[in-house]
Amino acid sequence: MQNQRNDRLSCTLAMPSYTYAKKAEGLLRQRSKAVKIVRREQTSVSGCGYDIVVSGNCQAARAILDRASVPYTEVSHDS
Amino acid sequence: MTVNFDNAATTFPKPVSVRQAAAKAISELGGNAGRGGHDLARRTSDAVYSARETAASFFGASPENTVFALNCTHALNMAIQGIMSEGGHMIISSIEHNSVSRPAYALFRQGRISLSCADADTDPDKTVENFRSLIRSDTKAVVCTAAGNVTGQIMPYRRIAQFCRENGICFIVDGAQACGVLPLTLEDGFNILCTAGHKGLYGITGTGLLISDGLFPIKPIIQGGTGSSSSLLTQPSLLPESLESGTLNTPGIMSLKAGINFVSRKGIDNIREHEESLCRIFIDGLREIPGTSVYRSPDAEYVPIVSFNISSASPEKTAAMLAQQGFCLRAGYHCAALAHASLGTKHGTVRFSPSVFSREEDVHRLLRLLGSIQENKADL
Repeated sequence: MQNQRNDRLSCTLAMPSYTYAKKAEGLLRQRSKAVKIVRREQTSVSGCGYDIVVSGNCQAARAILDRASVPYTEVSHDS
Repeated sequence: MTVNFDNAATTFPKPVSVRQAAAKAISELGGNAGRGGHDLARRTSDAVYSARETAASFFGASPENTVFALNCTHALNMAIQGIMSEGGHMIISSIEHNSVSRPAYALFRQGRISLSCADADTDPDKTVENFRSLIRSDTKAVVCTAAGNVTGQIMPYRRIAQFCRENGICFIVDGAQACGVLPLTLEDGFNILCTAGHKGLYGITGTGLLISDGLFPIKPIIQGGTGSSSSLLTQPSLLPESLESGTLNTPGIMSLKAGINFVSRKGIDNIREHEESLCRIFIDGLREIPGTSVYRSPDAEYVPIVSFNISSASPEKTAAMLAQQGFCLRAGYHCAALAHASLGTKHGTVRFSPSVFSREEDVHRLLRLLGSIQENKADL
């Protein structure tokens, strides 16, 4: 049950630019992570931008980005 | 028929794939990259990122440290003014193009930096020592061309990179004449490479690159819209967007991607060998014509550029007579005041610079015409 719930998890990470959103997308897809780039719907304090929505194990996805020094800010973690 | 032997200024013709890429971008990539979430913007953004990846891979860099510029001059100004924004000492070589020497002298005349000029000897050992002897405790950057645009002399950039690394100095390389004929990558040890997209990389004019290893922060000299964080009045700090304010030249960038792919397919070594063989034919032919001067030394190595003069006419007059017969060569100072001062060429030179598309038969025709001009037999 716990594993099934983790598989349905998703998280949204705010990227500092489209370039980093694409870089993150590439890194995560290389590791077979489901990811898509979306235009940020709610403008943040800093304004507009691009997020990546990662489906599945978000912790693993964040670890991939951290290892590659890709900057991001976690916006939400859905379950 | 027009024959372009001024490819050091800009390569022409362009490969078919480059022309098609630019045309396709105009027809299909109608969005503004990095701005908006609609289909037009996304397709354009993805295409630009793909081009960024291509350029990054070609130079051994990461995409986020690969910046699109308008030309090499733009890239060099960003690098020089960005790295020297807090002052300090900078060293340039004696054969730099004005795209290096003018921003350097501007900063020096404003009292913002101190500046030294290292003699570029045809003996690379002496050149390296000339640079090394100028290093001071406050030396912040060395700027050096990988290959000069007047004679094509290749500078010992790997060795210069080594002592810059040893001394914590930022090494900025002008790759305008080298990229596409020399295998420059970040593994050569420089920190920032600036180059034109429209010369040896066969993109269209209005393109350039600044490649960084990310070690030295580059303060932006232009602030503006970058597509993200728009409610902040401060410029983003991360590359590449921090140096890419405003709308990108999408057709240019896509042409540059196609050009880089063209060079990769052809092979840098093959391109250089073809162009250098034409230079050898040209030099051998010139030496058969009495009263010609060829500005090459047996001690140095060169990219495929040959500067020369003939005794019967000034460089500009020579080029004008050649142009009347359809041969395009550039004469004068080639935007390189320092280089000509170092050469002692008071009135400049005529510069021969072939491309991958140049033909041997055209080199022979050019030589026959030069022979006729020298003998005053040309009916001009």
